[in-house]
Amino acid sequence: MKHASVLLAVLFAAATAAARANEAGMCGVCHSDVRVQFEQGVHRSEGIACTTCHGGDVAATTVEGAHRAGFRGVPRRRDIPALCASCHGDIARMRPYNLPSDQFALYQTSQHGRRLAKGDPNVAVCTDCHGVHEIRRRDDPRSRVFPRNIPSTCARCHGDAALMKKYGRTDNPYADYAAGVHGRAFLENASDAAPECTRCHGSHGATPPGLGDVEKVCGQCHATTRQYFLEGPHKKAMDDAGLPECAACHHNHKTPPAGVEMLDSVCLQCHAADSEQQKLAGTMKGMFTDAAREIDEARHLVEEAARIPLYVDDYQARLEDARTALMESFPVMHALDTGRVEPHTRRARSIAAEVSGEIHEKLAGRWWRKVGLGLFWFYLLLTAAILVRARHRAAAESRH
Amino acid sequence: MAADAGGKRSIRSWLEARLNLTEIASFLSVFGLLPAELDTRKPLREALDEALSRPLPSYARWPRIMGILSFILFLVLAVSGMMLAFYYQPTASEAYGSVTSIARDVTGGTLVNQVHRWAATLLLLILAARIVRFYFGGMYGRSREVIWMLAMVTFVVATFADLTGRLLPWDARGYWTTVRAREVTDALPLIGPLFSFLVGGSGLDSLVLTRFYILHIVVWPFLLLALFYLHFSSVRRVGLSSVADGPGSRSLRVVLYDLLLIVVFLIGALATLAIFMPQSFDVAADPFATPPGARPPWYLLAPHALLESFPPLVPRFLRGLFLEALFVAVLLLPFLDRRAGERPGRRPAAIALGALALLVWAALIWKGWHLEGPR
Repeated sequence: MKHASVLLAVLFAAATAAARANEAGMCGVCHSDVRVQFEQGVHRSEGIACTTCHGGDVAATTVEGAHRAGFRGVPRRRDIPALCASCHGDIARMRPYNLPSDQFALYQTSQHGRRLAKGDPNVAVCTDCHGVHEIRRRDDPRSRVFPRNIPSTCARCHGDAALMKKYGRTDNPYADYAAGVHGRAFLENASDAAPECTRCHGSHGATPPGLGDVEKVCGQCHATTRQYFLEGPHKKAMDDAGLPECAACHHNHKTPPAGVEMLDSVCLQCHAADSEQQKLAGTMKGMFTDAAREIDEARHLVEEAARIPLYVDDYQARLEDARTALMESFPVMHALDTGRVEPHTRRARSIAAEVSGEIHEKLAGRWWRKVGLGLFWFYLLLTAAILVRARHRAAAESRH
Repeated sequence: MAADAGGKRSIRSWLEARLNLTEIASFLSVFGLLPAELDTRKPLREALDEALSRPLPSYARWPRIMGILSFILFLVLAVSGMMLAFYYQPTASEAYGSVTSIARDVTGGTLVNQVHRWAATLLLLILAARIVRFYFGGMYGRSREVIWMLAMVTFVVATFADLTGRLLPWDARGYWTTVRAREVTDALPLIGPLFSFLVGGSGLDSLVLTRFYILHIVVWPFLLLALFYLHFSSVRRVGLSSVADGPGSRSLRVVLYDLLLIVVFLIGALATLAIFMPQSFDVAADPFATPPGARPPWYLLAPHALLESFPPLVPRFLRGLFLEALFVAVLLLPFLDRRAGERPGRRPAAIALGALALLVWAALIWKGWHLEGPR
């Protein structure tokens, strides 16, 4: 019985080893380094063999036999997208994995794909982003296309100044992105709400948005701001002037944190300092800073009250409302209409004034403590006077 | 009702027949509140009349007021502390809520809380001032060695009582002050490990809070009570300080009126401080967010600065040992300075040294404060 179980175990081990050898076939005997890489990838676990991409005979025991008819060797770069698409464009094959099958179609519309079709060998093909043999799933943190790794993956080419110079690009999009508000949120604060490259440019169909489309791209996240922008005069004016909409004021990659102080400088790029437009900017800024100052004063009062301590939970919640109203005025400013900004800043100011007033009232209502203290001192001094008198009497008695 | 000698019936005489009231009253004299020895064999009235008309040098008048003042402050702290303890909950999750609720929702809670805080501050200041007065008055020689040492130990125990009290509100300032203070105490060989053993480690969590609470309301107060008792007992044995003794000795009755006057003005002062200069509350403590400018309490600023003044190569326990040696040297001062007890004019070296020590201490406090960033 014991011998039988040992025999079974040995047979089982041999069978699994044989099955494993089958996937990389005999190729791994010579290409051991590639085999190591391949075994870490997702294709190996899905039963894809070397020959699926490279051709040849997986079972052959000689080099000549393995590299027989149908052997493709290393695929040419320009053939790679189509080669990958031979499986990944197959709806039936991709359906069980719930994977899209339109990547190749998208790729052909991208800058990468169009240049590749024109014979440019430097543009990215599938393997540049996904890896060659060790292709991993997108949700594997070690994958180059895992969302957190996307900026560094794109930067492999787009951060290469020498390569970019060939295309007449002198900027460094990766460095700009990393310095901007989106890059800092994504790279430094690990915020998943912040966009990486593909959220604006697309992945397989990667293309810079056209001049008239910038607001649509930014509007995916900044929907309210986009709505006000579309309702304002800038949309038509910018499109007529060939300006890149949002990016004209906020920069495309090096986007600085948005704040009212931008109204001092950004408008001057197109408008004169004494123009009506710059005056409008100044008015909007004034509305905002007045409200912000009043909220800040109310906050100081709330903190002072909390130190006493008074109940301030309600005031804190209302100040949060005031800050929300103030924040709402930011997108509205893109409509460039003070009449539309004013209700928001007015609401912020009125909440702050209400809170300040109520706290002042509460603090002033504490006057009775001082009156009480005065009465208390009156009583104490009376007691002291009686004691001093009694003491004198006792001292006189003790002298006698 | 029992009949008096003259046939008058009173509750006192009824009780007198069943309890030794004089003995009970003499208990007060043990603590110096009533600085007279009562003849416990006599009835209360007779014993009191006898004691009250006995002349004695007044201890309840300037500048000898500090001893009795500190004891009265201790009693104020005991009473106000007991009131606070009715509402206080000594767990990390409830402490802050219960303290703010005392100050916010409980009738008179703010007043009691502020009086407790201010009485603690004044007690420490007076105990420190007393040591300074003892030194410059030379009041530590000629059989007064024990009084000097008791004054030193009382101050140290009072600082521990204050320190354990600071953590109790579990607000950010109290919490981080305690954290910084424990960095100082942990550097002291023997005392640091002993304190850590008492509170169960060097972290600050809910259990440590409970232990601080027990130390604050039971251990340190009873230790202080014992020290006050020893102090008054020693004063009764060796007499009041003879330095700058005034001409007038008064009857105890007059002294008692002085005492009552002190209490009246002290209560007035505490109420005024509580209302005009309330000590503020901070936000709830967050062990994961150190506020800027967290520093030890004022009485540990100088030791903190001293510990940090050593070159980095000196191990921390050696620095602590130096501090302890310094304390022991000051504690044993009466045995080191044989000229104590003489008038200040006759001991210029000691006066100069004392003034220098005070200056250095003040400079260290200044440095200790500025070692940390602004609050």
